[in-house]
Amino acid sequence: MTWTGLVVRNLFRHPLRTLFTTLAIALAIFLVCAVLTLPAALQAIFDRAASNVRVSVHHKAGLVYWLPFAFVQKVRTLPGVTAVNHWTWFGGVYDEPKNMFPNFAVDPDNVGEMWPDYRIDAVALDRFRKVRNGAVVGDVTMRKFGWRVDQEVTLRGTIFPVDLTFRIVGVIPSTTGNAVILLFNRKYLEEAMEDHGGLKNVGMIWLRAERPSDVDGIMRGVDALFRNSEAEVAAETEKAFFASMFSSMQGFIRIILAVGFLSVAAVVLIAANTSAMGVRERTPEIAILKSLGFRRAPILGGLLAESLAQALVGGLLGAGGAIAMSAALRAAGTSAYAQVLGPLGSFRMSPMVAGEGIAIALTVGLVAGLVPAWNGARLNVVEALRRLF
Amino acid sequence: MASGDRFAKLARMIDVRDVSRVYTRGADTVHALEHVSLHIDTGRFVALMGPSGSGKSTLLHLLAGLDRPDTGEVVVAGERLSALDEDALATWRSRHVGLVFQFYNLLPVLSAIENVELPLLLTDLKRRERRERAEIALRVVGLAGRAHHRPQQLSGGEQQRVAIARAIVTDPDLLVADEPTGDLDAKSAEEILGLLRELNRAFQKTIVMVTHDPRGVRFVDAVVRLDKGVLVNGAAA
Amino acid sequence: MPIPLAYNARSLLVRRWTSAFNAGGIALVVAATMLLASLVGGLKRMLVATGEPDNLVVMRKGATNDGSSQVPREAAQTIRVISGIARGPDGEPLASAELVNQPFMITRNGGRENVLVRGVEPAAFRVHRAVRLVEGRLFQPKLGEVVVGQGVVSRYAGMRVGGDVQFGRRRWKVVGVFSSGGTAFDSEIWADVRDVQDDTRREGYSGLRITVAPDADRDAVVRRIDGDPRWALEAKPEIAYYREQAETANALYGLVLTLALIMGTGAVFGALNTMYATVASRTAEIGTLRALGFGRGAILGSFLSESLLLAGAGFAAGAGLAGLAVFAINTLLSGIAFSMMTFSVATVRLHISAAGFAIGAALAAAIGTIGGIAPAWRAAHLRVVDALRRA
Repeated sequence: MTWTGLVVRNLFRHPLRTLFTTLAIALAIFLVCAVLTLPAALQAIFDRAASNVRVSVHHKAGLVYWLPFAFVQKVRTLPGVTAVNHWTWFGGVYDEPKNMFPNFAVDPDNVGEMWPDYRIDAVALDRFRKVRNGAVVGDVTMRKFGWRVDQEVTLRGTIFPVDLTFRIVGVIPSTTGNAVILLFNRKYLEEAMEDHGGLKNVGMIWLRAERPSDVDGIMRGVDALFRNSEAEVAAETEKAFFASMFSSMQGFIRIILAVGFLSVAAVVLIAANTSAMGVRERTPEIAILKSLGFRRAPILGGLLAESLAQALVGGLLGAGGAIAMSAALRAAGTSAYAQVLGPLGSFRMSPMVAGEGIAIALTVGLVAGLVPAWNGARLNVVEALRRLF
Repeated sequence: MASGDRFAKLARMIDVRDVSRVYTRGADTVHALEHVSLHIDTGRFVALMGPSGSGKSTLLHLLAGLDRPDTGEVVVAGERLSALDEDALATWRSRHVGLVFQFYNLLPVLSAIENVELPLLLTDLKRRERRERAEIALRVVGLAGRAHHRPQQLSGGEQQRVAIARAIVTDPDLLVADEPTGDLDAKSAEEILGLLRELNRAFQKTIVMVTHDPRGVRFVDAVVRLDKGVLVNGAAA
Repeated sequence: MPIPLAYNARSLLVRRWTSAFNAGGIALVVAATMLLASLVGGLKRMLVATGEPDNLVVMRKGATNDGSSQVPREAAQTIRVISGIARGPDGEPLASAELVNQPFMITRNGGRENVLVRGVEPAAFRVHRAVRLVEGRLFQPKLGEVVVGQGVVSRYAGMRVGGDVQFGRRRWKVVGVFSSGGTAFDSEIWADVRDVQDDTRREGYSGLRITVAPDADRDAVVRRIDGDPRWALEAKPEIAYYREQAETANALYGLVLTLALIMGTGAVFGALNTMYATVASRTAEIGTLRALGFGRGAILGSFLSESLLLAGAGFAAGAGLAGLAVFAINTLLSGIAFSMMTFSVATVRLHISAAGFAIGAALAAAIGTIGGIAPAWRAAHLRVVDALRRA
């Protein structure tokens, strides 16, 4: 028999009570892991999707403001730029208005060079260059609408007064950061728009740098190039671009974090109650132990160890449950359920969040158990003996 | 350290000099002991008796090093207890005193032999040695066959015997018992008192026992009577 | 005969700390749930309030919101004079042609987001009857002047009367602040439609808002607009339009219920622990009560009531805490910024709606019931002799 053995046996004295407390902690930690994943997941989405050699160039006033297409040619001259491409939001809908998803007119010639992380295979890229109405579509969108490669699909224009029919020539795999978009050849849109005043504008321009160290130079170059132009231009790294897109979610994230915090506080009270109950019931035993010569420190340690053990098991269960759920969501996200889940499908819980969850669980165990354990250890033996006998 | 050597050195096991103790219980102030002086020789089996509230339990607590007097001095086995701080007192207790209470003696989550082993956790003994000592102690009290039973599975008398086994497992100088038969039926009470008597005789254990039980008088060497915190009969035992 | 509730209340008070901690745990779970629900409540309230009962929203066929719709100038001119549209005291039709734009704005915290700029004509202030100027004056035409909603003032710098702000391609002058009674318009900036057209290099509008005349047939007006072969437009009641926008809020209710379920279960475990312990420690009392003649039903009811009493206390504290948090957030932060379907950000004032209140109450009641029934059952089915023996 050892101290650890004693701690374990004390926990099993009231098995239901220990089980309930452990489960309550597990539930709270599960919630906390989900809550903590939110900012981390957002961060991961644009860490994955945003490279540090790509620079976005857009109108300073906002993304709804066009840039003249002629600007694309101008930026090609900047030193350090290895590739130039562009996005123009077409805003097409498939079949019903609610089937809106991101679709862009781009330059088909160097999609693979600009966005190697999209991992479009070489055959698809080649066809994309050759087929005038070719389109490359993200895997998630393909599944959502049940499209197949080589199928022809028509998107109705919402911003442009034209409907376009595309032939799907390739897929963007769902393991990349961008499996929802559809890319097509800008020339195809230009032709369609000839009867409606033509298309002389572009939404935003993308530049690729040779090395990350070239990025600052390129951005300054862009600023200088367009300082006195008709359109005010802003250049920023892709990371910064995505980061600012999510900045408006801060308030919502704060509420979610507050909710998580309140849940942890609730479970601290529940666990503290359990600890206090246990100590109260065992006052005679503690008196005996102290009278036998056991000092405060080991008694405190033993009581605290009980609280921490419960919390640790609860934390492992909760974090484990969260990991399992995130894996299940990810599996479902690449299946037919992707449409239903939406963003939840790319929910990715990192091991670090699990670690944080367990750390929080241990803190709960410590905070909840400390005061009752302290009071228990500090028990005045004679007073206890007087009260008991 | 064999008991025999120590006994040879110390004739006087317990020396209580002019001790007073006052404590508060809620709103009341209780003068538990008033200028009590007493000495007890080594190897004696002494009963502390007196009406309820006479201070006998308080005196016992002082002898066991569980409490400190407000005035006066308590010397046990040559040790001046007032010179020890709380931690040192705890350590001293674990080595020199064996305790038996009226109830709540045993931890319900541990078996009989594990309960007996408990005080040995405070020593440097290895697991096997602890186990062996505990087995011997249980054999002495006649419960070797019940080693792995939990307290709930033992009768009141058996539980007290386990408590006594625990009290002697560290080979203490002094055995202190607070109403050991208070919760037992007549037959078990007799057995326990007999056991204590045996321990006293066979191993020359100094035993101080607080008791209400008039039967106890038959088993002890001397009776010290207290009333309202004051010794009624002689100061020597 | 039931056991008086006072017995339970006093038992709870005697075990002061345990009761407080248990009620506290329930309170925090209720507070968290009601806080999240207040976001949904605020969102719904804002969107539902925004629709005027006799207004119609006219957009391009298939558009989901007026941020991504286009209505040509000629179409707007034709629709303005359709019969069935109400007229103002001066005889002018209550038809507001509007151009919605979403330029970048830098928030006070340095974040960058899209703000909704609505280019309007004077008719807008008569069609959107809830919009009222509370400070300053209306903008003059073609001077780059704007009036801003109250929600905008706190979110971005410089948004006060006399202030000067940059968005789009130019600077604008703030000449007034309006309130729309907590609707979505409070998060918008209104400018002269021609200034917005210049800024975005667009002609035409994104949509029209029209007020139907009180004696006109609304459906006839809708059919007229929908059926016009020259333009592909559709009209829908403003209330229906905003209700559709509020659909996203319903998805959030799913989140609220998930939270309530998870944390509620945790709180149930806590309540079970407390109630089982209390039953165990009051075995003697129960034995006495049974011996005195109180039946099983009375004992069950008594302990269940005690659990519900605790849950009730927890609910009261939790609702109070949530209310305090909502007040604090609304006062200090003016609400929570939320991305709307219009690709712009609106500041949502948190609001504990009747639904939010009911969710909190139901949660507390469920915790009290589920956490109390099993222990109460055990208490009621104790054998009397056993109970008394343990006394």
